[in-house]
Amino acid sequence: MLIFETRENSRGPALDKATYDAVVVGAGLAGLMSAYYIAKEGFKVAVISKVFPTRSHSAAAEGGIAAYIEGNSDPNDSPDYMAYDTIKGGDYLVDQDAAELLAYKSGEIVDLLERWGALFNRQPDGRIAVRYFGGQTYPRTRFVGDKTGMALLHTVYERASGTDNVDFYYEWFTWDLVVDSDRRVRGVVAFDMRNMTPTFFEARAVVMASGGMGMLYKHSTNSYINTGDGYAMALRAGAALKDPEFVQFHPTALYPSDILISEAARGEGAVLRNNKGERFMARYAPKKLDLAPRDIVSRSIMIEIKEGRGFPGGYVGLDLTHLGEEYIKERLALAYEAALNFAGVDAMKEMIPVRPAQHYFMGGIDVDIKGRNPDLIGLFAAGEAACVSVHGANRLGSNSLLETLVFGRETGIAVAEYLKTASWPSSDVAKDVERSVDQAYSVVKSESGRHFGEILEELRSTMWDYVGIFRNDGGLRNALSKIDQLRGEINKMYVTDKSKVYNTEFFNALELKNMLDLALVIAHAALNRTESRGAHYREDYPQRNDQEWMKHTLTYLRGKTVEISYKPVKVTRWKPEERVY
Amino acid sequence: MSTPVQVQDLQEAEVVFRVKRYSKEKGDYWQEYKLKVDRFTQVTEALRRIKVKQDPSLAYRASCHMAVCGSCGMKINGEPRLACKTLVLDVVKKFGTNVITLEPMDRFPIVKDLVVDMTEFYDRMERVKPRLYPSKEVLEYKAEHRLKPEDQRLLWKFAQCIWCGLCVSACPAVKEDPLFLGPAAHAKGFRFLRDPRDTITEERVKVLADSAWRCTYCYMCYHVCPRDIEPVTAIKKTRALLKSVKPMGPAQEVGHKHSEAVYESIYTYGKINEGVVYVKTYGLIRSLVDMTYAFRAGKAKYALEKVEPVKEVEQVRELMRGE
Ligand SMILES: Cc1cc2nc3c(=O)[nH]c(=O)nc-3n(C[C@H](O)[C@H](O)[C@H](O)COP(=O)(O)OP(=O)(O)OC[C@H]3O[C@@H](n4cnc5c(N)ncnc54)[C@H](O)[C@@H]3O)c2cc1C
Ligand code: SF4
Ligand code: SF4
Ligand code: FES
Repeated sequence: MLIFETRENSRGPALDKATYDAVVVGAGLAGLMSAYYIAKEGFKVAVISKVFPTRSHSAAAEGGIAAYIEGNSDPNDSPDYMAYDTIKGGDYLVDQDAAELLAYKSGEIVDLLERWGALFNRQPDGRIAVRYFGGQTYPRTRFVGDKTGMALLHTVYERASGTDNVDFYYEWFTWDLVVDSDRRVRGVVAFDMRNMTPTFFEARAVVMASGGMGMLYKHSTNSYINTGDGYAMALRAGAALKDPEFVQFHPTALYPSDILISEAARGEGAVLRNNKGERFMARYAPKKLDLAPRDIVSRSIMIEIKEGRGFPGGYVGLDLTHLGEEYIKERLALAYEAALNFAGVDAMKEMIPVRPAQHYFMGGIDVDIKGRNPDLIGLFAAGEAACVSVHGANRLGSNSLLETLVFGRETGIAVAEYLKTASWPSSDVAKDVERSVDQAYSVVKSESGRHFGEILEELRSTMWDYVGIFRNDGGLRNALSKIDQLRGEINKMYVTDKSKVYNTEFFNALELKNMLDLALVIAHAALNRTESRGAHYREDYPQRNDQEWMKHTLTYLRGKTVEISYKPVKVTRWKPEERVY
Repeated sequence: MSTPVQVQDLQEAEVVFRVKRYSKEKGDYWQEYKLKVDRFTQVTEALRRIKVKQDPSLAYRASCHMAVCGSCGMKINGEPRLACKTLVLDVVKKFGTNVITLEPMDRFPIVKDLVVDMTEFYDRMERVKPRLYPSKEVLEYKAEHRLKPEDQRLLWKFAQCIWCGLCVSACPAVKEDPLFLGPAAHAKGFRFLRDPRDTITEERVKVLADSAWRCTYCYMCYHVCPRDIEPVTAIKKTRALLKSVKPMGPAQEVGHKHSEAVYESIYTYGKINEGVVYVKTYGLIRSLVDMTYAFRAGKAKYALEKVEPVKEVEQVRELMRGE
């Protein structure tokens, strides 16, 4: 199995090497799922995660997972409606083959998780229960109490950890992809966070399942660990990010801690009100009201606040008071608890103070529906790290957990297929590995300079102010020059902690480097797209422009510049129409 | 419709965090950080601000900031808590001081500052085979699971454990008894033992039955668990479910005899007759040996006292017979 070699390196510390068929970076739902399906075919897999698997961000998902289940859905519903909702929700930037696959496999994947032991809420007859989520024509969201992500993550971890061929490396930080001169992926460089020792994980295939990037924004519902490392690794290695201008803001984050108040609250009947008590969504989305897609609700709230109809401090109210104690306790425990624990608000009696916050990244490493990246041989991606183009310009609630599982599995299967024929290349990549380790260590070598924290705070404010819910030419240019400046400054970054044991400062500094690479690409793409679509809203170009912009953005990072090209959207059956809710 | 709280009436305070730090190079030491917080500031947010603005070298774990990932267990003013589920000003109010101490969890080896080594915790969890083993028919899609809503609710209660380790850090039995699986592992174990969809009950019984009798029912795990898992309730339910399992492990046998003896004693005397219960639980020889120690320690009065039944013993018996 695992082969550990220790090679004396003339320039310093010994560098360990471990050899696997495949390396999966990330132990969230997407990573665990692909690892399981690779291992199932008898291949050796290393799963590397900077936290213990069940501490991954997937645990934070509350509301649920969308699925059309044959015989256990609305009799008028069908997978085609589900695909259509997804496509329309994504403002037609969705690849329709991907949306169809997602919809058609949704029932099967929920059923599989049930067989693996997930404790989905039940109907009285023992079948899986269901509820509405924003953007759904018929109710499709399946849930496990108010902690669906946590429940599913534990279930998939339980399954994957019971598999022989999977080795877990938790609290290991992956820093770089190693690519040879034939543009073939050769593995990753990762550090054991407990002692800062670098190891070269040599592999024939790498799956990036490293999750999202919320920490780029001053306000985000994401876990602290979501720093977008995988996107930056892919960019540095020469792979494209697709559609990075599309960043989703969730309309209802608790003020001021930005803890998510799940869409489930509105799915179960909670309504948004301004300081006059008006149900203001009636003005912006007369039919769907509070359940309109996230981008529309987020912007509506921001307009209410901007025009003086918010509450002092900048928020609106989410009203649950009419739902009743028992119902709230049974269906909305997490939202209720969050308001109580983190804002001191009893949601049975008063409205919950909410405002929008960054929530999800629709963009990601460019992959097809099998998780394959076209730029680098042997590179795959799944989950929030990937862009399969199933969410287009705006993700629907409960579609992301579904994506991690459906495409996590598709990717795992595709990797196993690939491994059956892929050979072990022989060219030497030792130099590349060394260079990568040196680059990482450079931050501990400086004796003075700026701390990561100062730069980080500036970056997060810049992104929130200029690359946020409302964007315009001037603001985006401001953001770009600021990001440029900060990218210059990190070369002089200084790490005070010289300890080798659990040096979180060192890893935070590496994360910051990743965040800046990603920020540059996002701001560039946002400036480049001169239209408004889904979550990308340009004040100076408020209309969707299908003629010029019905296409995906592909971005490559070339040193200090970003190179942009395009790719057509795959349309199977649904022609673009105006999005009215 | 009601109005939301006026969040702008923030109560603010300057707080001093006394953090117990440790590194291999520097050993143990205390360090203080001053910070202004408002009524919404979680301890994890306070730590983040300290790290970003004051001292980047401070090490701690945190991920979700919403009490679902189980990363941020630590001792806050001596209490085992999740840092993200603790508001700084609540602690100030509760303890009446603006000095707050932060220490790593007890029982676990310290790696650095507030970061502890959880390896042993994960190993304990693995020992209870924390995964469903469904039937072959179900895995081959020849059959389908149905789960009663009430079963779902019962199991979900115990399945919500986030592996934070707080209960283990507070459990006296874990410290004393290497054969005890510990509270979190028992909650997990019971969740699968009781799952009607599971097929390896026999194996689970082997792992859980004896260990379940090693818990002291001190209820520490019940009090510290941030997710209200009640591991001790899982242990009680495990004991009840497995009380007649044979062959018995050593702790189980002792425990089983103990509960029978307690029952008998109450039936006979209407109360617990400690001496009799002790002899019935541990056997005569062991009791005599223990008694010599008890004499020396001056604690033998229970064993020697002549016990009379309480007046209402007949009513007690009726109750116990379920009449
Ligand atoms: C508060 C909240 C609620 C949500 N609720 C829902 C919902 O109800 N329904 C829904 O469908 N979606 C929801 N989402 C979205 C959904 O949770 C995520 O998109 C999804 O869980 C992402 O899963 P993933 O497997 O791609 O990544 P993650 O679960 O984020 O896992 C990423 C993994 O990568 C690892 N990693 C990252 N960088 C490195 C590195 N450098 N080295 C090593 N390892 C690394 C991490 O350790 C982690 O294991 C929610 C999101 C948030 C923020
Ligand atoms: S009740 Fe039992 S498991 Fe819980 S802390 Fe006490 S001894 Fe440990
Ligand atoms: S039982 Fe509670 S305290 Fe113990 S690990 Fe689980 S969540 Fe934490
Ligand atoms: S940070 Fe996740 S439980 Fe506290």
